[in-house]
Amino acid sequence: MKQKTFFFNFILFFLLISSIVSTVTAFEYRIGVREDQELIWKCNVCNKINMDIIFGSDWDDSGIFNNLSQGKRMKWEINSVTINETNININFSIWEWTSENIWGFKDNDSELDYFSNQSDYSQKLNFSQYSSFVPFLFPVPVGEYMGGLSLNEWYDVDNRVLPTLNVEIRKDEILPGFPSKDIQIIAIYNDHGILNSYKLYIKSNVVIVDISLDFLPFYVIPTLIGLTTIISLSIIFYIVKKRKTRNILK
Amino acid sequence: MNLNTYLVKIKSRFGALWEHKIFRFAIIIHGFYFILSMVLTLIFFREQNDFLVYYKVGEVFIHDINDLYNRANYLWPFRYFPISAIFFVPFYLVGFDLGFILFNFMNLLLNILICILLYKIILHIKREDHEREDKRIILYISLFLMSLPNLFNYILGQINLYITLLILLSLFLFLTRESLKWDFLSSFILGISVLIKPITIFMIPFLLILKFEDKQRKFKFDILRSLIRIIGVILPLSLNLFLFLLYPKLWEGFLATNFTGEEPIILNHSFSLTKIIINFCIFYNISYNPLLILLLILFIIGGIGFLMYIFRRSNSHTIVFAYLFGILIMLLVYYDSWTHHLLALTPLLVLLIFYLPRNSEITKNYVKPSFFFFSFFDLGFIGIWFITQNWFPFNFASTVFLLILFYGSSKFCVTGDINDQKS
Repeated sequence: MKQKTFFFNFILFFLLISSIVSTVTAFEYRIGVREDQELIWKCNVCNKINMDIIFGSDWDDSGIFNNLSQGKRMKWEINSVTINETNININFSIWEWTSENIWGFKDNDSELDYFSNQSDYSQKLNFSQYSSFVPFLFPVPVGEYMGGLSLNEWYDVDNRVLPTLNVEIRKDEILPGFPSKDIQIIAIYNDHGILNSYKLYIKSNVVIVDISLDFLPFYVIPTLIGLTTIISLSIIFYIVKKRKTRNILK
Repeated sequence: MNLNTYLVKIKSRFGALWEHKIFRFAIIIHGFYFILSMVLTLIFFREQNDFLVYYKVGEVFIHDINDLYNRANYLWPFRYFPISAIFFVPFYLVGFDLGFILFNFMNLLLNILICILLYKIILHIKREDHEREDKRIILYISLFLMSLPNLFNYILGQINLYITLLILLSLFLFLTRESLKWDFLSSFILGISVLIKPITIFMIPFLLILKFEDKQRKFKFDILRSLIRIIGVILPLSLNLFLFLLYPKLWEGFLATNFTGEEPIILNHSFSLTKIIINFCIFYNISYNPLLILLLILFIIGGIGFLMYIFRRSNSHTIVFAYLFGILIMLLVYYDSWTHHLLALTPLLVLLIFYLPRNSEITKNYVKPSFFFFSFFDLGFIGIWFITQNWFPFNFASTVFLLILFYGSSKFCVTGDINDQKS
């Protein structure tokens, strides 16, 4: 009898707790970068001919794609981060796309503004102010922030595996002849809300722009070496064991 | 037998099982998985679970069935046949929290039934050279209960256990009943599993009773029985036709979500061979057609599997291999193969362990390592994928084990087992 009472009490308590906790769903958004932090992106692919055809020859004359070409890098340095009840503001300096190893003086200062509460955006949002059609930095938790935005029909947030912003813009959808072909963008963000991978596709999954964050965490090389060693040793161990068994059978 | 006698019998059987240390462990660990999943999903992953999609499917089915495959309605796309949506309506009607709790209680109940069916099938197919007592059977069933895909399945609120139960029920009837009407019913049950989740769809061709007779050098094809099986499996699926005819938009949505949509462009940790190849193309910016890759892999893997099955040596209980090939082909070929899908595979591996000779080389080299990997280590490799996905986005380990298993099964079909030949 005591056991039954305990069991039912436990179930009731569990339901009560889960209903209380489940009603608390509001997030406090932050910025996943700190002041003075440097962010560097590199361009792995840039098909200028296709970009000229799709966006016109001036696509790389200004904005985030200014001077973009394959092998170049771009740097941001975070100057200040301001978060209050209504706004999130990130002020940063930009070193535009360059092939130089020495960064030199910054090219520009810029800022990103977000509402702290996504419902404050009064109309369907799009990021067409950036030539990339996606921002390079989002508040965190990034999945929840993107998921809570009311984006226009070009956008689809996919948080299943990695926080991803999919963009699909049909030919002539923005202006007649712009873009001149259907395009698709897959932008993947890391846990800090930083754009980790940006790929611009045309028909048949052909990549014409590929930009990635130039960053190698400390754990990657040991993990890859460790994994390779374990697998190699397992294979060697298996072969040796197999040979020994064969010899015994003989 | 009245209910009281039945309950007394269950109690005494459970008491006998409780004497086994491994069974006690399994019950405690499984109970822990069950409670942990409730806490994690209802408190922390409320917006990040598969049950949420099923819950929304129930809602959309009631309010606007035409919108069933609209990606905007869900966290991730609903891909199953439209009839399956009816199943989720009751859970929607009771609300998310109660719906999830009921859903997981159902999953727990399904796991109990799966274990009972597994036990019964093992007793039926077990070779004589296995131990007489059931200690080893209890060990493997306990390992299944403790396996990590169960935890994953509970947390996500997935429906794989319904599929597993239907596979085993269909298998049990195939193995224990001879007549045509039972063949029809067994196939019908398999058809229901496809209806709920098409993960079992590649089992259908293996229902054909087609075999190359080595001695007579000719093909043997039981047309009538094969036809009855195919009708049985297709019948539940054909119910979808009514919905597709009534709501043509559903057909377009179903096709786009499953085959022609943009979904496969996304990098993920699916361990299917097709997805590994697609990940390779995405990672190295190689232009590709996902459907073409899928069809090519299906042609190769499906073709080899079917040929091996036709040219099998064994004549007894071969339906176990038919189901195994079906699920292996699905996991290797379709874009999405996840840890929780392994719950449809591992019980078949347990059956295989008892179907093959006690000291089988196939069991030792292929089946057992795969069973342990899928049950306890696959999840670790997902963690590794998340750490290394920027530089090495391939969750390859489970793919390797699936291929090993595919090779082992094919080998057994064609050459038999060394120890079997000795005995």
